[in-house]
Amino acid sequence: MPRTGDTMAATAPILRTRALVKRFGAHAAVDGVDLDVREGTLHAIIGPNGAGKTTLFNLLSGELRPTSGSVAFRDADVTGRDMTDRSRLGIGRSFQRTNVFPKLTVFENVRLAAQSRTRVSFAAWRGASSLGAVNARGEAVLEEFGLFRERDRIAGELAGGDQRLLELAITLATDPVLLLLDEPSQGLSPDDARALIDRIGGLAERYTIVLIEHNMPLVMRLATTITVMSFGTVLAEGTPDAIRANEAVRAAYLGKRA
Amino acid sequence: MIRFAALVAVVALAPLVVHYPELETQILTFGLLAMSFSLLLGEMGFLSFGQATFNGVGAYAAARVLIDAHAALPLALLVAMLAGAGVAAAIGALASGGRGVYGVMLTFAFNEMAYYAAFQWRDVTGGDNGLRGIPRPDIFGIALDDATRYYYVVAVVVLLAFAAVLRLNASPFGAVLRAIRENEERARSIGFRVARFKVAAFAVSGALAGLAGGLYAELYRFVPLQAIDLDTSTNVVVAALLGGAGSPYGALLGAAIFTVLSDSLSHVWSHWPLIFGIVFCVVVLFFRGGLWSVFDRRSARAAHG
Repeated sequence: MPRTGDTMAATAPILRTRALVKRFGAHAAVDGVDLDVREGTLHAIIGPNGAGKTTLFNLLSGELRPTSGSVAFRDADVTGRDMTDRSRLGIGRSFQRTNVFPKLTVFENVRLAAQSRTRVSFAAWRGASSLGAVNARGEAVLEEFGLFRERDRIAGELAGGDQRLLELAITLATDPVLLLLDEPSQGLSPDDARALIDRIGGLAERYTIVLIEHNMPLVMRLATTITVMSFGTVLAEGTPDAIRANEAVRAAYLGKRA
Repeated sequence: MIRFAALVAVVALAPLVVHYPELETQILTFGLLAMSFSLLLGEMGFLSFGQATFNGVGAYAAARVLIDAHAALPLALLVAMLAGAGVAAAIGALASGGRGVYGVMLTFAFNEMAYYAAFQWRDVTGGDNGLRGIPRPDIFGIALDDATRYYYVVAVVVLLAFAAVLRLNASPFGAVLRAIRENEERARSIGFRVARFKVAAFAVSGALAGLAGGLYAELYRFVPLQAIDLDTSTNVVVAALLGGAGSPYGALLGAAIFTVLSDSLSHVWSHWPLIFGIVFCVVVLFFRGGLWSVFDRRSARAAHG
């Protein structure tokens, strides 16, 4: 794998893929990817459309199973684990399109996510609203995302930007270790996108984040490590400065946009 | 709480106002069956076209232990619930994985299989003659030899089941079912093992439907083959949607209207389902949350979004 500049070797990888391949028929959407996501970094994955970013993401979250290769999380092989298992292990993902529980209230959306980490979900005789720790977690997440005043509104009736925030809040309420964020600013107004990006910058201080994002200035500002994909393979990996200076990347991708 | 108190009052006073305890008992047992349906549709978003399967299994199971083992009534009803829950869990495990209409068709197909099994297995079910001669034992030393006394036994059981459903809907478990209804993929991605919750919901639904069957078996001390046929499953769907599948109140209201109309209209005109069909169309077209939505804005919103 061609490396450019210094990748941050200080921390151990929390997520690691080896020779990861996903074929759809004859087409290899992901074609032999070795990825090391180090703890505490904000690791951006960029590349032209069709480079295989979202497929790679789905392999990381467990939504798809690889054709071959492996995925390890915190030194445990999770290749055969599904999305639910990986969520419970601490891999929280958000979706490219807004993916909330539309007819439930904002609070119920995050409360459910917090509840998923407890053992009470099969309790049919207790009151859902009486679960102190779960409610507190839900309220804390809403507070953090500035959604507390919207807590009793129906989620599907929120403005688009607030729905994206809620989507993130749901993922955070599950108390993940690693966040997978798939184009979080997609479809947002420039103002909302900027606000969301700042929010992600704040989250990066507490979580390891893997981010797919098209907004280049944003990626360059936030990322500690950038992996550039092209045709299902890793074209380059390095710090934002190193990627900016990389000729192959410029030719394949940045050049067209800059 | 006020609404539940009002329901208790209505159920307690009904036979005193209109003395027709057989019909009123039928409303309650059918209402319980409709509630078992609306738990799956209203909370979890799964349309079951096979509730008569669990109803029939419960009815036959209760009848058999009453006839063969001279079991006490509470024990017979417990057996009915367990039988209904077991069969529903098995069918739910197979049907609830099917997306959209395939799951519906599977509940339908299993119902048809259960019907033919009951039809063939005459030694146990009486086949198309029905199962006769079910004893009605005393309960806590009280003879249940008249229809009104039996009505009150059924009333207590159904109201307890009703309260349990209200409790379940407000519980963490009920919240997960609504999450599955709203967005199954997201429920999975935040770590809920969706398949297990679906099977559990089916088991609860089957227990309620089995209990309804057991109570029904004792009403005329007879289990007709209709207890397990597809017409009954269809009637459950119609009654629950008529009243409003978003809440157990709606299911009970729909069952009451359906039972009263079918009882009164069938005496007048043998083609009464035509009239009922028109009523049903009007309700579905103009009151999408069912008739209960007129009283209850929350269930209306749940149905409309």
